[in-house]
Amino acid sequence: MRMKKVASLFLTATIAASALAGCSTGNGGGKSADGKTTIEFWAAPNPTQQVYWKEMAEKFEKENPKIDVKVSPMKESPTSEASIQSAIAGKSAPTMSENINRGFAAQLAESKALVPLNEVDGWDELIKNRSMTDTIKTWKFSDDNQYVMPIYSNPMLFGWRIDILKEAGVDKMPATYSEVLDAAKKLKAKYPDKYVWAKPELADPTAHLRWFDFFMLYDAASGGNHFIEGDKFVADDEAGINALTLMSDLKKEDAILTKQATDIFESGLGIFTDLGPWTFSYWEEKFPEMKYNETFGLSLPPVPDGADTENVNTFSDTKGIVIYASATKEERKAAMEFMNFVYSNPENDLKWLETTKLPPARDDLSSNESFKAFFEKNPELKPYADAIPNAIPSIDNAKYNELQTHIGRYAVNPIVKGEVDPEKGWKEMKKAIKEELKK
Amino acid sequence: MMKRNGTGWLFASPYLLYAVIFFAIPLIWSMYLSFTDWNLISPVYYFKGFDNFIEAVKHPGVQAAFFVTFKFMAAFVPMVIASSLLVALVIHGLPKFKGLFLIGFFLPYLASGVVSSLIVKGLLSHNSAFNVFLRKFGIEVDWLSTPLSALLVVAAIIAWKFTGYYALILTAGFESISKDVYEAAAIDGVTPSQRFWKITLPLLYPALFTVLILSIGVSFGIFTEVYQLTGGGPNYATNTWQMEIFKQAFTNLSAGYASAVAIIASVVTFASILVIRKLLEMWGKRNGWV
Repeated sequence: MRMKKVASLFLTATIAASALAGCSTGNGGGKSADGKTTIEFWAAPNPTQQVYWKEMAEKFEKENPKIDVKVSPMKESPTSEASIQSAIAGKSAPTMSENINRGFAAQLAESKALVPLNEVDGWDELIKNRSMTDTIKTWKFSDDNQYVMPIYSNPMLFGWRIDILKEAGVDKMPATYSEVLDAAKKLKAKYPDKYVWAKPELADPTAHLRWFDFFMLYDAASGGNHFIEGDKFVADDEAGINALTLMSDLKKEDAILTKQATDIFESGLGIFTDLGPWTFSYWEEKFPEMKYNETFGLSLPPVPDGADTENVNTFSDTKGIVIYASATKEERKAAMEFMNFVYSNPENDLKWLETTKLPPARDDLSSNESFKAFFEKNPELKPYADAIPNAIPSIDNAKYNELQTHIGRYAVNPIVKGEVDPEKGWKEMKKAIKEELKK
Repeated sequence: MMKRNGTGWLFASPYLLYAVIFFAIPLIWSMYLSFTDWNLISPVYYFKGFDNFIEAVKHPGVQAAFFVTFKFMAAFVPMVIASSLLVALVIHGLPKFKGLFLIGFFLPYLASGVVSSLIVKGLLSHNSAFNVFLRKFGIEVDWLSTPLSALLVVAAIIAWKFTGYYALILTAGFESISKDVYEAAAIDGVTPSQRFWKITLPLLYPALFTVLILSIGVSFGIFTEVYQLTGGGPNYATNTWQMEIFKQAFTNLSAGYASAVAIIASVVTFASILVIRKLLEMWGKRNGWV
């Protein structure tokens, strides 16, 4: 009998402990008895950004003793998006987090999981103080709200192996489709085993990959015309077909390789690739022979023949900070104060730039004196700063994953394999996207 | 009697609690979700009846997952049975250090699927030494972008991982066969073929049955290698149930729909294993092995 009691007690205690653990929010945020507000900030899962945000939090706390900022790394199990989704579902979301792209923000905003930042006191001051009045315009969501405070706006550029181009008899980086095809012919004549565009991801339908191939070409060819507006497909058909035709023509020249390969651009197997500023620190360590304007050059995406080759638009890889809807009024206020503290001083953006090499999303990045010395020291990053005004962020539709998967599945993937022609691919992609938008 | 019952419940309670928290509650929760359009985070959601199930069976990703699982099974099960049998035979024949070799072959089972996938990705890349060598003989294979080879590569990695584990079970099976039986058979003048079919296979059948059922179960749960190597492609050629559920739940944020896919996957898995088990039992009974 006694044993039964012990067993019941043990079982009850275990269940109670589990239930209580389940009830815990896990959110370190809130207001304590001494009037201190604690906000939890999830930083991107890389050590560099964690160090940056911890330093910012320490500086902020010194000036604002009534607010504690707890910085912790965002989990990536299996992806940071999945971790955030689980945290929100489990009522353990932080007050705020960085590393949020526009498409994911649209998914969260549709589920009312984010705070419209424009409704929090201090937002207008933040925009003004950080000099981002123009940049923020392209970030407005289709419901006219601002859900993301963009940290960096990284216009994606194409890198060319100018040393190999020269050996093949091409003296300047191709800027138009004809020039690209001409370079392809010369390259194949000189080096039959090399390719212009060697990229296995071209044959992969995963949604986010389209930002770094199709959207770069489409934004350039369409002059920044939207692809989706709200729930409408508004893409420029001619520009889209032109971008796909370039891929198709390169395939016909045997200048596209979609097989898995390693160090493609560095080894010279492919001589054209999308490049982000994060590559350069990696090259400094692993491929010191990659020298700007010696082995490689940077250019805006090529455009159809006859189009303006100056002020070309390109896709902007951007990520920013959001405040989660589970945050209390005090926490939202404290979060906005923290952002205002960080972004009212250009030195903090300079520190970000020096640490991450990612261009802060400011209108004055290429003109503000605070950044001049940095760009003189890092000339390969200057083209990124110059391209910010022409950078187009990703679509803000909550179904961006499904929609961009259709671009891959029906257009880009079969075209680079030579299975369909560009017109047919575009038509089928358009049909699938329109059906998806109707759901 | 009461005291014995109480002790029994006490010792069983951790597992029961584990089963309730990690199996029963998620199962009921998943069933509930499968009838909704909830994404787990939205404050508003609607009941959709059987719409998620109808949509799922029409979806090319789900249809592919159904067939791909059986294709994986057709490739993986013979591969792993053959390799684990071979390893078990070799180890069984060793005069010494059987345990040491078994541990050696078991190690891949403990290896991270992510790491082994990345190593294979490097090995099969276009500019790897292996492919450069093959091209010298005019052999050009796009390993991970060709449906058949992508499927075989994934099956081979998983077979490599499980070979040692299954060899352990089969070695135990071999060790349990008495040498006297073979000696008696030798006196009777049986041929090596007869020895295998009439003695080894029947006596090894219980271990083989276990390995077959386990390997068939593995075919329904493939994820890491596919996620790392092919993402379910090319064109759904390696899209497994787990891959489809993951994409819908965590990429498209459609937890309700993903739950419906998970329920369908569970039913297909349960029914398939049941049918295959019955067939294996019939095979054993017909030959008088059980």
